Amino acid sequence: MDIIIYGIINSVALAIMALGFALVYGISRVPNFAHGSIYVLAGFITWSFLRTLGFPYFWSVIITMLIVGVIGALLYRFILIRVRGMAISEIIASYAVGLAILEGLRWGGFRGMSYTLPVFAEGSVIIGGVPVDFQRIIMVFAGVGIFIGLYIFTHYTRIGLALRGMAQDERAALMLGIDSDLMAVVSMILGAMLAGLAGILLLPLGNIVVEAGYNVLILAIAVCIVGGLGSWAGAVLAAFLIGFAQILTVVYLGSHYQMVVALLAIILTLILKPSGLFGMQKQLEERV
Amino acid sequence: MLEANGLMVFYENMLALNNVHLRCKKEEIVGVFGANSAGKSTLMYTLSGIMDDIRKKEAMAGGERITVLGEIKYLGREIGALKPSKRAREGIILCPERRRIFRESSVMENLRIGGYLSTAAQASETIDYVFSLFPALKNLRKRIGGFLSGGEQQMLAIGRALMAQPKLLLLDEPLLGLSPLMQATLVRSTRVIRDQRKISLIVTEQYARPVLPIVDYAFILENGTAVLEGNREELMGNPDVRAAYFGVN
Repeated sequence: MDIIIYGIINSVALAIMALGFALVYGISRVPNFAHGSIYVLAGFITWSFLRTLGFPYFWSVIITMLIVGVIGALLYRFILIRVRGMAISEIIASYAVGLAILEGLRWGGFRGMSYTLPVFAEGSVIIGGVPVDFQRIIMVFAGVGIFIGLYIFTHYTRIGLALRGMAQDERAALMLGIDSDLMAVVSMILGAMLAGLAGILLLPLGNIVVEAGYNVLILAIAVCIVGGLGSWAGAVLAAFLIGFAQILTVVYLGSHYQMVVALLAIILTLILKPSGLFGMQKQLEERV
Repeated sequence: MLEANGLMVFYENMLALNNVHLRCKKEEIVGVFGANSAGKSTLMYTLSGIMDDIRKKEAMAGGERITVLGEIKYLGREIGALKPSKRAREGIILCPERRRIFRESSVMENLRIGGYLSTAAQASETIDYVFSLFPALKNLRKRIGGFLSGGEQQMLAIGRALMAQPKLLLLDEPLLGLSPLMQATLVRSTRVIRDQRKISLIVTEQYARPVLPIVDYAFILENGTAVLEGNREELMGNPDVRAAYFGVN
C-alpha cells in the first residue's frame, strides 16, 4: 500500500519537475538546461522574501513566480535568441546560465542546513494505513491542477493555441501571423514559472540545497527522454514509470540507488526506443 | 494592391529570382505559372516574408547565404523590411505549398489556431464561412489533421488561411497532387472566395490549364525570370505558352 501511495506522490513530483522542461522543448525546441537552477532559485527567492524581508508566505510565492518568469524571458531574449536553432549551443548557453545561477548562489552563501521553507499546512492523515502529510497531498492536488490548467490553456485560449501551432510547425504558424520569437518568450516564461512553482511545491519537503538543481535537471531530462521529447502526455506517463521504479528501488534495494534509476531509464530508452514512449510521429519521420 | 519591382533572390550565388516584376490589383486573381524550380515558391516566400525567416535560420546554422533585393509595395507602402508576422497582420497570408497543416491537431483546432489574428467574432464568422465553402470539412471537425486526405488537407489549409483575415491571399500550388475533380472544386472555391470575401489572390501552379479560367492576369516564370505576362487571352494567343503550359497545340 505504501508503495502505491508514495509511488503516486513521487510520480506527481517528477511530473511537476519535468513539465516546465517538456513545455519549453515542445514549443520552441529549446532544451532549457537552466531548468534545475530556476527551481532552486525560486526556493531561495521565496525564502528571502519570507525570512529576510518578512513578507507573508502567499505574497512571497506570487512575487517569486513573477521574478522567475522575468528571468525566463530575459534568458531567452538576451542569450538563447542568439543561438536559436543550434541545439548544442542552446544546451551549452542555457547550462552555463544554470551553472552561474547555482554556483553563484553557493558563492553568495546560500548553503548549509538552515534554508527551509515552511510547509503550507501542518499535520498528516492516514490513507489506507499509510501516514501522509498534508504538504504531499497538497502537492499532488496542485500537480493535477497544473495539468488541468495547462490543458485548458493550450486548448482553449488564443495564445495557448498559437503555442501549440508553433510546436507543430513553426513556419506554418509564422504564415498565420504568429510571431515565433514572441511565442518562444512566452514559452520560456511559462517554463520558468513552472520550474519555480515546482520548487515552491517540493522544496518545503526538505532543505533548499544548491545540489537539488542538478538532480532536478537530470530527473526532468530523464522523464522527457523516456516519454519522448516534446510530448506532454509522454512526459506524464514517463513520470509515473520512473516514479514507481524509484519507489520500488527504495523499498527493495536502498535509497541511494534512486538516481541510478533515472539515469538507467535514459540509457535504456536511448538503446531500445530512441524516440521515447510517445515519440510515434517522430519515429515515423526518422524512418522516412 | 501589391506591386513588386526588381525582385532578386540569391541562394549563395545561385539566382532563384531574377528581376521579377509582379503586380496584383484589388480583388484580382493573379496566376503565376512555371515549371518545377522556376522560382514560384521562392516568390511566394519573398512576398509573405517567410524568406526573411529562412534567411535568418540559414545564417544561424551557417548554411546558405540568402540575399533578397528589390522592393515590395503593399497598399502603397514599402514592406520589404517587415517581419513575416507583421506582414500577416497587414493581411498578406500565405497558404503554403504541400499545405503544412498542423498534423496533430483536429480540423477545428487547425482553424482556431489560424484565427490567431482575428477577434472572437471574426473567428466564429469565418469558421461558419469555411464550413459553408467546404461542406466536406464540416463532418470532419474532430478528425486529426494528419489523417485527412490530400484534398481535405488543402481545403483545411485554405480555410485556415482565411481564418487569419487575409486581404491578399497567396496560394502556393493548391492543386498539387490532387484529383481532377478536387482540382475543379478548389478552383471554383477560389473564385467564390474572391467574390464573397472581396480579397485579392495570387495563385501559383505548374500546370496552368485548370486555373486559367479564373485568373484575371498571369505571369510566367522560367528559371527565376518572368518571361511573359498578360491577361488570359494574351497568354492563350501565344503558341509557345499554349504548348508548354496548357497542353494544347
